[in-house]
Amino acid sequence: MGVAGLYNRRRAVNGVYLTLSITATLIGLLVLFLILWTLTANGLAALSTRLFTEMTPPPGASGGLANAIYGSVVMTAVATLVGTPIGVLTGTYLAEFGAGSRVAPVVRFVNDILLSAPSIIIGLFVYELLVVPMGKFSAWAGAAALAIIVIPVVVRTTEDMLRLVPGSLREAAIALGTPQWKVIVMVIYRAAVQGMLTGVMLAVARIAGETAPLLFTALNNQFWSVNMNAPMANLPVVIFQFALSPYADWQTLAWGGALLITVTILLLNILARFLASWSNRTP
Amino acid sequence: MSADITITAETPRAPTLGRPIVRPQEPAVVAQTSPKVVIKDVRFYYKGYEALKGINLALQDKRVTAFIGPSGCGKSTLLRVLNRIYELYPGQRATGEVLVDGRNILDAGQDLNLLRAKIGMVFQKPTPFPMSIYDNIAFGIRLYERLSASELDERVEHALRRAALWDEVKDKLRQSGLSLSGGQQQRLCIARAVAVKPEILLLDEPASALDPISTQRVEELIAELKSDYCIAIVTHNMQQAARSSDYTAFMYLGELVEFGDTEAIFTHPREKRTEDYITGRFG
Amino acid sequence: MASTLTVASPRRPVRQHLQDALFRGATRAFAIGVLVLLGGIVLSLVLGATAAFGTFGWGFLTSVAWNPVKDDFGALPAIYGTLMTSLIAMLIGIPLAIGIAVFLTELCPPALRRPIGTLIELLAAIPSIIYGIWGLFVLAPFLQLHVQPFLIDTLGEVPIIGPLFDGPPLGLGILTAGIILGVMVLPFIAAVTRDVFLTVPPMLRESAYGVGATTSEVISHIVLPYTRAGVVGAIMLGLGRALGETMAVTFVVGNAHHIRASLLAPGTTISATLANEFSEAVGRLYPSSLFALGAILFVITFIVLAAAKLLLLRLEKQGAK
Repeated sequence: MGVAGLYNRRRAVNGVYLTLSITATLIGLLVLFLILWTLTANGLAALSTRLFTEMTPPPGASGGLANAIYGSVVMTAVATLVGTPIGVLTGTYLAEFGAGSRVAPVVRFVNDILLSAPSIIIGLFVYELLVVPMGKFSAWAGAAALAIIVIPVVVRTTEDMLRLVPGSLREAAIALGTPQWKVIVMVIYRAAVQGMLTGVMLAVARIAGETAPLLFTALNNQFWSVNMNAPMANLPVVIFQFALSPYADWQTLAWGGALLITVTILLLNILARFLASWSNRTP
Repeated sequence: MSADITITAETPRAPTLGRPIVRPQEPAVVAQTSPKVVIKDVRFYYKGYEALKGINLALQDKRVTAFIGPSGCGKSTLLRVLNRIYELYPGQRATGEVLVDGRNILDAGQDLNLLRAKIGMVFQKPTPFPMSIYDNIAFGIRLYERLSASELDERVEHALRRAALWDEVKDKLRQSGLSLSGGQQQRLCIARAVAVKPEILLLDEPASALDPISTQRVEELIAELKSDYCIAIVTHNMQQAARSSDYTAFMYLGELVEFGDTEAIFTHPREKRTEDYITGRFG
Repeated sequence: MASTLTVASPRRPVRQHLQDALFRGATRAFAIGVLVLLGGIVLSLVLGATAAFGTFGWGFLTSVAWNPVKDDFGALPAIYGTLMTSLIAMLIGIPLAIGIAVFLTELCPPALRRPIGTLIELLAAIPSIIYGIWGLFVLAPFLQLHVQPFLIDTLGEVPIIGPLFDGPPLGLGILTAGIILGVMVLPFIAAVTRDVFLTVPPMLRESAYGVGATTSEVISHIVLPYTRAGVVGAIMLGLGRALGETMAVTFVVGNAHHIRASLLAPGTTISATLANEFSEAVGRLYPSSLFALGAILFVITFIVLAAAKLLLLRLEKQGAK
């Protein structure tokens, strides 16, 4: 094969690779589009004010998802409120006090394991920890399981954001005679606040769709309930139950709920990205 | 007095003052009556490397002492010993004594926050805190003093006037400190440092990151501030050192090569290395 | 002049140091709390699984029984399903993910890079249950009607791999679950791989292009070898996720506690079993067997994730040099 022939073969190989690569991207985008399309096509039928005002119905009847929406919102909120401070403080330890510590690398390692651990295992853990001693399923247990998923996300983003704050800012604050905790809380946190907020938003987006940890902690509740000590309805478990059922009404509601969750999560993600790039803008 | 010196066209001239460099026979004597800061045999180590090799000199109150020398000679390191900011980093330590008004601040019992409240530092890169202009100045004051709102307003205005920044920012005190230009930010940092009424001011190449006009304003500022503070300034700009300072210390490779009246250093340095540096034989 | 460095009110520095110590202590306590959390999870799994392992011993891992009535349980079908679906997921996901990463770093016009990258990351953000119902209502029927009969007729006749594509086209099954998992992990692997590709020093890539290498050659001879540890790390992170995925798999795997040769047959995974059966498990041995399954899953994912993390750490150190 002459030089030209060799070159042509290389070009052909290159062409194949590139085509495959473009195809792969198209497949990825196609799947995203298909999923969103399916959700919209099937879920739109369920979108009405009834969805937000009526409770989950018994099979064959019509209704809404009000109790499930409430339950999801409440448990997500509690989980975020509990998990975020824990995550922020741990992330602060890793970023500010971790240099030279032997504990810090271990914590970081374990945190990353927890970040990707199967969420159903978290559900099992909280079941043993809270449900069994309490003797019943409860929204507290559900929120606890979600909080355990929130913590590693917030730890990671907090540490990354704090590390990005330039050392010169720290030194400037210390040079004024500021005690170390004030340097962190009043200067460093303020400098990193947008990034940390992004982390919280991503954590919320993550737990908004989690089903497995709620399956044996908060369980489900057909009726309206604000009692945190009892099982509480939530969107993912309701979708699980209704989608697998043979009732058309239930299935429609399941699609409606799925559309709600997906839109919320996508909006949170996009918002988080905007926040991140806005805070990185050059003034 | 000096004898046997023939001044010809080839005699090296101090680039800053234009006068011929003449090597006298007797060493110059520097007045050392009750200096503000006495540095005694200070050595500095980081990671086992000896960056400062036994420095001895004194800083006079209400005078400007400039530190010059090529990159890496240790002048910034020495400055950072004076407010012990190196303590932030493990693996860095200093030995010897630094007597401020007779008290050794390198002593283990010295409270670092109090030390830094009394010794102000301005860094090479402007580092405004992520807060309003007003809060940037008030932050340091609030750390150690309890003032009424009107007293605080007065102090902030006073500090901004001292830094020649008041007229430019008086209408936008609530805007973020980051919205100012580079030169203004640096003057903000100077205002921040003087607002807490320090006794000593350490300036680490304060104008090197600024444009020429801002640099000039900063230099004018330093000349004014001299009347109230003991100032130590590190600079790689020899013209600046010659213009602004009363005393000059030339350092090289971690050693104090020569120290004396600025006029003397630049017109008749005693050491060959000093002369070589001043005439630009090495940078 | 007396030094004012020994300030008039000596209480303030003491209070400041106390506050500093408290703050530092609090952050440290919560950090150690993370370690305690992991310990707690491990402990709860071990405690829960004791009864099952005590009764069945190591035979639990190899038994294919699953009989709640007779209290006879075995983990093998679930383990097989977990591993098999993850394997299929990797076979589908890895090439697609690398293809996407290559596209984003080499081929994509700069203006489109962020939007497309964001879209891929949004794909990763879609929760498992959405993939599950999409799989059940869209993908499974599609496979059942159009793809599986085709596979049975063509690959089903080929010797050796034929039995893999045997049986009625049900739509649900190991293969479908594997495909859904593959689609789920591919955006994640793609995103991490893209980040890893971006750590290649531009000089290195430019000099390769400079001597006339084609894009595919730069990728295979420069970028991939340089980022080998990182790409493997990304793949293993994706594998860790695939192993633990619950809802997507539960909807489409068929939930049958057996092992069949055919990929088109229904099966089960550890997480699907837990999701389906935990709330109805009564008695002592049934719940304990489920906990034992959870423990096994945790061990598998822990090993994979730990190995991935170590590899990625190595890449970080390499990049820092």
